[in-house]
Amino acid sequence: MASEKRSWDWGSSQCRAQLDEIFFREHDYIQAGSSEHKEFWAFFERFQRFKTKRDMSGAEIRKEDKDKGRDRGKVDLGLPKEYDARYRINVSVCTRDIEERMGKSEHRSRQRSSGPGAQEVSDCRLALLHFLDFSQKQSFGKLAKLRREQKNLPIFQYRDRIVELVRLHPVVVVAGDTGCGKSTQVPQYLLSAGFNNIACTQPRRIACISLAKRVSFESLNQYGSKVGYQIRFETSRTATTKLLFLTEGLLLRQIQQDSTLARYQVVIVDEVHERHLHCDFLLGVLRSLLADRPDLRLILMSATINIKLFSNYFSGAPVLQVPGRLFPIQVIYQPIPPEEQSSKSEKLDPRPYLRILQGIDQRYPPEERGDLLLFLSGVAEISTIQEACQIYATHTRRWIILTLHSTLSIAQQDKVFDIAPPGVRKCIISTNIAETSVTIDGVRFVVDSGKVKEMSFDPKAKMQRLQEFWISRASSEQRKGRAGRTGPGVCYRLYSESDYNAFAPYPVPEIHRVALDSLILQMKSMSLGDPLSFVFIDPPPAASIQNAVFYLKEQGALDSRGELTSIGSLLAQLPVDVVIGKMLVLGCLFNLVEPVLTVAAALSVQSPFLRSSQHNPDCATARQPLHSNQGDPFTLLNTFNAWVEVKRERGGGSRKWCRRRGLEEQRLYEMVNLRRQFKDLLRSHSLLESEDSTPSGGDRVQRRERLTERRKLHQLKRDHEQQEGSKRKVLKLEEGQEGDFSSGSDTEETGRSKRNKEGSGQNLDIQEVKFKLRHNVSELQEAVSQDLSSHQQALLKLLLCRGLYPQLALPDEHNSTRKDSDQVFHTRNKQGVVIHPTSVFASDPEVLQVPEGDTGEMGPDRRDSTKHQLLAFVTLLETNKPYLSNCVRVPALQALLLVANTVDTNADCTRLVVDGWLELELKEPEEALKVLSTALTLRAEWERLLQAQLGQNSTGGAAVGQGVSRRVVQKLSESLVRFLLYTEVSYSLRRLSAFQTQNLYIGPQLESVLSNTKAGDLNPLFPGAEAKPDPIKGGLRVTNFFTYNCLADSKDLYSECLRTFWSCPNCDLYMPLTPLERMHHETSCRPAGEQQQPEEGREFLLYRTLIGLTRALGHILYFRRDKEFHTKCECVYQLCVFLFCILFQSQKVEKQALHQCRALPEFITVMCAIKT
Amino acid sequence: MEEKAASDNPQKTFTCQLCSLTSPFTYYGQKPPNTRAIVLLEECFITKDPFSPDREKFLVLGSICSLCGTYVCVGSDCSLFYTKRFCMQCVNKHLDQFPHQIQVELAKKKQSAKAAVS
Repeated sequence: MASEKRSWDWGSSQCRAQLDEIFFREHDYIQAGSSEHKEFWAFFERFQRFKTKRDMSGAEIRKEDKDKGRDRGKVDLGLPKEYDARYRINVSVCTRDIEERMGKSEHRSRQRSSGPGAQEVSDCRLALLHFLDFSQKQSFGKLAKLRREQKNLPIFQYRDRIVELVRLHPVVVVAGDTGCGKSTQVPQYLLSAGFNNIACTQPRRIACISLAKRVSFESLNQYGSKVGYQIRFETSRTATTKLLFLTEGLLLRQIQQDSTLARYQVVIVDEVHERHLHCDFLLGVLRSLLADRPDLRLILMSATINIKLFSNYFSGAPVLQVPGRLFPIQVIYQPIPPEEQSSKSEKLDPRPYLRILQGIDQRYPPEERGDLLLFLSGVAEISTIQEACQIYATHTRRWIILTLHSTLSIAQQDKVFDIAPPGVRKCIISTNIAETSVTIDGVRFVVDSGKVKEMSFDPKAKMQRLQEFWISRASSEQRKGRAGRTGPGVCYRLYSESDYNAFAPYPVPEIHRVALDSLILQMKSMSLGDPLSFVFIDPPPAASIQNAVFYLKEQGALDSRGELTSIGSLLAQLPVDVVIGKMLVLGCLFNLVEPVLTVAAALSVQSPFLRSSQHNPDCATARQPLHSNQGDPFTLLNTFNAWVEVKRERGGGSRKWCRRRGLEEQRLYEMVNLRRQFKDLLRSHSLLESEDSTPSGGDRVQRRERLTERRKLHQLKRDHEQQEGSKRKVLKLEEGQEGDFSSGSDTEETGRSKRNKEGSGQNLDIQEVKFKLRHNVSELQEAVSQDLSSHQQALLKLLLCRGLYPQLALPDEHNSTRKDSDQVFHTRNKQGVVIHPTSVFASDPEVLQVPEGDTGEMGPDRRDSTKHQLLAFVTLLETNKPYLSNCVRVPALQALLLVANTVDTNADCTRLVVDGWLELELKEPEEALKVLSTALTLRAEWERLLQAQLGQNSTGGAAVGQGVSRRVVQKLSESLVRFLLYTEVSYSLRRLSAFQTQNLYIGPQLESVLSNTKAGDLNPLFPGAEAKPDPIKGGLRVTNFFTYNCLADSKDLYSECLRTFWSCPNCDLYMPLTPLERMHHETSCRPAGEQQQPEEGREFLLYRTLIGLTRALGHILYFRRDKEFHTKCECVYQLCVFLFCILFQSQKVEKQALHQCRALPEFITVMCAIKT
Repeated sequence: MEEKAASDNPQKTFTCQLCSLTSPFTYYGQKPPNTRAIVLLEECFITKDPFSPDREKFLVLGSICSLCGTYVCVGSDCSLFYTKRFCMQCVNKHLDQFPHQIQVELAKKKQSAKAAVS
């Protein structure tokens, strides 16, 4: 044969390349180098082998074929006489043009040619035809299977009915149980019926992605990018998107921006029966929106739970009920016998659970597959049962024990999807996460403890509470249903049938359980009117709404009339907790955006520190350098920054770095994404200057490199996505056993060198790829790398504290005598809380205590120190105890004066009561005044800058630097830091008793008593201040947070009129002033350098004269206590002071003051004469 | 989502008259776009292969029976290609004209289908 002559070798890559020249050129259907091309050559080999085999045995068949004549005279189909598989292929490949060209060149240089001859070309062509046919069959097979599956879904029967209902009614309820196919099919039915712009909400982000993928796949991507999803950090949405899966929260945000939701024709709200807070609210909003959008179609999809409720809410909307697809499930009630029931404090008794495992082993042969899913209420319960089951499993070698709950690492969670080896069953011990959020196929047995831990909110203690409850009948059925997804199953209920009947029919909807702050804030910003009169599907208790309003007022998000403040309307735009949002806004003002972004992000995701690693000494040691005894947010900040550093240096090596420290890297990825989102949000609200985003500058080479890298990363991501789903591993029998993180034991160093050598590494870290695609790591590293100076740290603490306020806790005064683990704290509303064991302060409580040597007087009820501290905390959650989590320590006096909503004092300001629960007593009136007035000044300035910045953002456009000058901000931050760090005032700090709180204030006073105070009110020294008598507390309301001399125990009501000599450090003023006057003066008197001193000539003379005059008058006032004289002099004195002011302050004060001094017109004339 | 023009374009749908498999198609003919040297030997209903990572691949959904003109999908239960497209009804009618290999194959399939049902 020709091929032999020219030594043609099919295996040689050169020979193949020559054929590639003919069949797989650059513009051909299949191109050399593509994955299909590779597949072809693999196919080719198989095909050749098959051919040789057939050639050897196939001769007979062909003969037989020949024998068969065509005799019957019916229609002649004109089929070829001889069978050839080639005839069954409906494709041909024409390459004559190239062959000819090749032929010519071959002709010219026949000698050196070892190119393919006609035989080789035709062999290759035939193989290619078969390959094409094969791939067509493969793809069509998939399509046919898909269509078959779609048709077999229970909902398929209702396809036309659904479309018809939606055409006819504005609201339709589709109710169907698990497996009926509503979530994937209904949107498709609507799309193919011609509906456009469909939004479909989901309670969970992950469902948005998987549904978009599935629907896009099922509809054969015929819509291309027309099926998309949008979740917090990601969107695949484009201008052509026709069907969008998105979270409930996101749709609400869209309504916030576009109140008629004009961009959608159809809104599908899925899983309404789950009754999430956002979902309930969304239904309410959509209900009122329907009035403005009669063309809008709304479809509620629900399990067959409480359907009437939804239908009635939308004035009797039609309901279409679709049966689910479940296999029969046998229910066995096995209530736990009394002797095995555990009390609340005890560990769970594992015996009932073990009996079920044993029972399954006895009753069902191991070759009959089917796994077990066990529902328990919480993590502690899970680990108790896991321990016991593990022993049984190790013994019998018939079980692999796995756990499933939200605090597990992603990798550990993923294990539940892996497959058990033959003869072994998985036993998955799970929280209610497996009830709806996670669906595991292959479960045949369900064990239901009947218990669930649910978060509730205690408004009285302002505390979240995680409590164990009996589940509802609906949850019970849901759990049972998990056994019948893939075949008939068994459900063991560890309670009696009468228990079951006594269960509540449905779970308590979230809106009845949680704090409504964010919800109310959002309602306010959507101008939905009074939240109390909003028509919810199941209205929350009025008290709950009122609480939220109160809390938002406390937070400064609503004003006293319940309207949004400027900061409030901004907070409503941020998809985070109010406290976190506040931090972000505050951080923008100062040059602390980067750390604040990180902290805010870190506090919004689950902790990256894995609980399971806490008791691992290796992890603890490795974590040590990350710890900050300033507080948990600082530890999180350090951790994040260190991680970014590692990422920059060794990319994917961060995985190992995390494992060694017991960190869940996924959380860090979430943080970095969230951080980015926060940054974008702040930019879009003009709170941050937008960077000139020319990535890594103008260097063309670098840019191109980055571009190529990005392309490569995208390819990696695509490849990964393709492989996904087809990689279920088979579990090993030892899998469930402890010591999972020991996989980090091969040291980091070897890991690193290995990676360096191998380059990309063998197993792709998809998170790393996504991270690289989304973030520029060197830019990020630059942004977060700078270590915080002690000043910045102090300022950051203050910002966190102001953000978290009023979430403050006071260490108990006897903590120093207690064990580390028994440290007790008190919040305003809840006494006796403890620090969560994961907090830095749990292991290092000494830093919170007042140092021994520092205490002045030691007594049972009074300890003076300059170093009292408070804890600002993110969460107060009661599980078995009330725990504080994510705490940061702050200097008590300074922080309180700078952030508290109310500060009340006695006459000489030595006794301060903050927010009606904390009492601070300062020894030195002099110091007290100084501290207080500094705080007043700082706060006023801070507020002014903040408002300037917020006001500016509402007018839109301008970036920070313009409205609020950098210099001013810098100055303020320096002063704040000075105040925080270097205020050396000795004071005592304690909680007020209930009795003291009752009798705290003097209450409104009579006119006569107030007369003196009124003088203070008239004091022109504090321009713009409207110091008014407080109608409830008594005393004088100096600013919106500070009320002077309203505390009931003031020794002397008149003491506020007492003047003491004082010299102003800024101006030359030396005179006797009341405490209030003094503060007023300080607020208005700028330190030297900020003001212009009148220097020469007449003004200077006048200045001197005035000082003399005021001093003299001051003396008289101080020593002569004759009342009438006093009153007259008071006025003169005031006038002098006023004139004095005129010299330095604005002219505005003048008229007002003149008016006020009308009591003594003669003096005015005199003084006016002086002035002119 | 603002684009109206795209959505106005009426969708062309192919439905197999035997198994009622339905799917939109993008091209009907012998020379699907971007196929270069490849030519189909019959007029086919074609869509982009949704299962190929490469968007440019085509997928033949079905064609028309060369004898009776029925629209049939390319699934082996509905039609057969042997130099021409035949719907299964026509194949069965003229089974004797088909080569032995095909007859054997079809008989085998019938049997296994029966086994699956029973």
